[in-house]
Amino acid sequence: MINFYQFIPEIFILALILLTLCFGLFNKDRSIAINAVGFFILTLILINFGKDFYNSTDLSLNTINLFVLSKIILSIGSIVFILLSKRPLKNENLYRYEYILFILFAILGSFVLISSDNFLTAFIGLELQSLSLYLMAAFNTKNLKSNEAGIKYFSLGALSSGFLLFGISMIYYDTSSFYMQNLNNFTTISEIGLSLILISLFFKVSAAPFHIWTPDVYEGSPTISTLFFASLPKFASLIFLFRVYQELNISGIQSLDYIFKIVCAISLLVGVYGAITQKVIKRLLAFSSINHIGFMLLGIMCYQFMSEGTLFFYLIIYLVTTFGIFAVLLNLRTVEGEFTKISQLNGLRFTSNSKSISMLVFFFSLAGIPPFAGFFAKFFILSASITDGFFFLSIVAVLSSVIAAFYYLTIIKNMFFNKSEIELLDDNNKIGKVIFISFGLIITLFFFYPDPLINLVDNLFK
Amino acid sequence: MSFPILSLLILTPIIGALTLSLSSSSQLKNKTIFLSGLWITTGEFLLSLLLPIFYDKTKNGYQFTEYHTWFDKFDINYYVGVDGVSIPLILLTTFLVPICLLCSLNSIQNRAKEFVIYFLLLESFIIGVFVSIDLVIFYVFFEAVLIPMFLIIGIWGGENRLYATFKFFLYTLAGSVLMLLAIIYIISKVKSGNIELISDFTFDQQVELILFLCFFASFAVKVPMFPFHTWLPDAHVQAPTSGSVILAGVLLKLGAYGFIRLSLPFFEYASIYFQPMIFALSCVAIVYTSIVALRQLDMKKMIAYSSVAHMGFVTIGIFTLTQDGINGAYFQMISHGIVSAALFLIVGVIYERHHTRMISDYSGVTNVMPKYSFFFMIFMLSSVGLPGTSGFVGEFLVIMSTISVSVYLTFFTAIGVILGASYMLLLYKNVNFGDLKTDIKQLADLTNIEIFYFSCLAFLTMFLGVYPKLLFEMINKSISISII
Repeated sequence: MINFYQFIPEIFILALILLTLCFGLFNKDRSIAINAVGFFILTLILINFGKDFYNSTDLSLNTINLFVLSKIILSIGSIVFILLSKRPLKNENLYRYEYILFILFAILGSFVLISSDNFLTAFIGLELQSLSLYLMAAFNTKNLKSNEAGIKYFSLGALSSGFLLFGISMIYYDTSSFYMQNLNNFTTISEIGLSLILISLFFKVSAAPFHIWTPDVYEGSPTISTLFFASLPKFASLIFLFRVYQELNISGIQSLDYIFKIVCAISLLVGVYGAITQKVIKRLLAFSSINHIGFMLLGIMCYQFMSEGTLFFYLIIYLVTTFGIFAVLLNLRTVEGEFTKISQLNGLRFTSNSKSISMLVFFFSLAGIPPFAGFFAKFFILSASITDGFFFLSIVAVLSSVIAAFYYLTIIKNMFFNKSEIELLDDNNKIGKVIFISFGLIITLFFFYPDPLINLVDNLFK
Repeated sequence: MSFPILSLLILTPIIGALTLSLSSSSQLKNKTIFLSGLWITTGEFLLSLLLPIFYDKTKNGYQFTEYHTWFDKFDINYYVGVDGVSIPLILLTTFLVPICLLCSLNSIQNRAKEFVIYFLLLESFIIGVFVSIDLVIFYVFFEAVLIPMFLIIGIWGGENRLYATFKFFLYTLAGSVLMLLAIIYIISKVKSGNIELISDFTFDQQVELILFLCFFASFAVKVPMFPFHTWLPDAHVQAPTSGSVILAGVLLKLGAYGFIRLSLPFFEYASIYFQPMIFALSCVAIVYTSIVALRQLDMKKMIAYSSVAHMGFVTIGIFTLTQDGINGAYFQMISHGIVSAALFLIVGVIYERHHTRMISDYSGVTNVMPKYSFFFMIFMLSSVGLPGTSGFVGEFLVIMSTISVSVYLTFFTAIGVILGASYMLLLYKNVNFGDLKTDIKQLADLTNIEIFYFSCLAFLTMFLGVYPKLLFEMINKSISISII
């Protein structure tokens, strides 16, 4: 007997998709408002009844909490993203209601991915998410780089999906089942299969050495799509990776454990070394995200200290910061079009107070320097990893964050110390401005009063 | 719950900075902004004067403590308090910041509002370091100090300011992240960040050595000790005068304060184990940087190197692990805070008039600026360690305490005094005496404001030199606790 209650969030999004499809034919301007309201309702539903949906299932309370919290975060993130997306799309003459549909499909895929117990369902969720992302990367059809980004993303993504399917089939060969919980005794074949699945997931979250697509895709895509790649789908894939790690007890399998640790260390280092020499801000953010993925993988591996809480604390702070930075970037335009180079930020201090100070807050927070919430995000991850005895990885992590501080400082230097060379047009996007100012305040306030956030992530896992 | 004076000390500058940042800058003149900054910092100074008045010197432990839970789930608390070791440094900070603002009245013309805001933030972060008795907030303040300092050097510095400010930031950050790891490890072991509790905890000897080195990395960069000192001359040369003053006056003391407050009580075994290394490094610092200072052409660089040498006395004194040694080191810290700040002001005064810091560009200044030469002489002699000035007491006590360790150590430390005298006298002679150069004939003597703050500083040096008991009464009890 299938219990349909647990699909209510997914069914809700599906209904939104159908509504947008029908409505968008007649009045495309409204689709943004409809979806924002829709996700708002979904958030309310999830906050109030989220746990009840899964009551009749045999999932543990921990898992239910994980599902509900990550879905709430995803739907809040979608609201912010949908509100942000209108103006940049109009500026680039890309404003079509299909874009909103891709967002919806990607979010639907992420929802399915997060709560899937079965490798095939996970594959479907992941593909649904990825296909929308490929289209979003190539959405600016008149721009050569955008097309290139789409094709690169698609071909490499298809390769990684191949890895995933191959891994799943190996596991099926071994256990005659697609369910994660049936995978108890690891033979060599299922270990290889699982490592292939891990590789595919590492690709999706752009952990090094499977990160090669990230800078190019980030750079080529329209900035609004880049924001999406950097935030919500990555979050969902990371949550699934976390579930695979937990439920299959990967820390107990030596070979896979090594893979995980090595990928973590390489991500930390490749991220910072790649970012140092970048001139284009989106490429820099791509590499810096690889570095942060390294921290998140470290968070996944830690289990004693605050358990899942550390990871979620880090993820939430990281999402808020990413949204904030991109909200500022989307608000800036040059005469030629989208804003790209770091040197174009020169002298932002003199043109806009709110933007430069928000950027200062976001980048110091990413660098993990107090008094901003990013400090405690890193602090908790490091506390967890030292409590669990990952000394080497912790040292790599802190040293990488010193190097990371260098390129974050370079950006701040450009904004605060240099004179401006070209004129930046202020987009005067009210929604964007509200978002980055409020997110800057949130980042600062969470440092001084983090209790709400900590209670949130902690209570959910008790 | 008594009057929350320490929180007030931390918050006053922050609130001042917020109020300033909310006022629209276009309507305010630079002078109004500086005046309001001066009012705030002077008020802060008067507030901090309450600390020594109400501090009970007969009691052990921390006073004026405030305890608030910051994180419910973990033992991270906002726990502040002061003892004899922190009060003089807090006073030094609150005393120097108004002087920094005064001396920049004319030299900082552009973006004056930001300048005052960053200084106010800097002041509250520094006070935060001195009052915190929880490791996490200690680290938070310790690290937060970097941000305003980075901006101050980067925005108002000299031509090569970017290089200097990046070097300053990254050096210090690299040192302090290692300390962060050590702090996390300690908290995970002791289950508390409370400094008093951690002092009672004994670690494994091997672990303790590693932890000590992690803390050492952070503090040695900050002090700075010999191989880690290269950021200091760059930062000093490029920083604006006020930046140099606060850097030499207070920021360098954060490292030495960390040694006294954290390293000694936490790691008794390691402090003894690493004694030779620290003595060796400090001796090299004293002799080598003194010789380097002798050869400098740039006044600021010379004083920067002399700072490294003087801080070498401080580290030696601390790690003799005797009451006299630490007392002397502490006295040297305070004295160096006043004297080197004054010397940087001296350089700043002349730089503001003549726009060059090269020693060779000056000669016979005493003919046109007699008052200037007078104050220069007082601070120069105090830096050399003439009896009757504050420089003497600290150096004397440190040298005296080294005899109990090793005579060779005494020998090298004493050489430092001689070398110090030679480069300072050389600097003074070259700048003030000799033929009057034609292009410095029109230099104006000190203004009333400059005379005001120089006489404050001069009075303090002389007073502490003649009556050092005032300071020792304050610190004796607290320091005797931190010795093993």
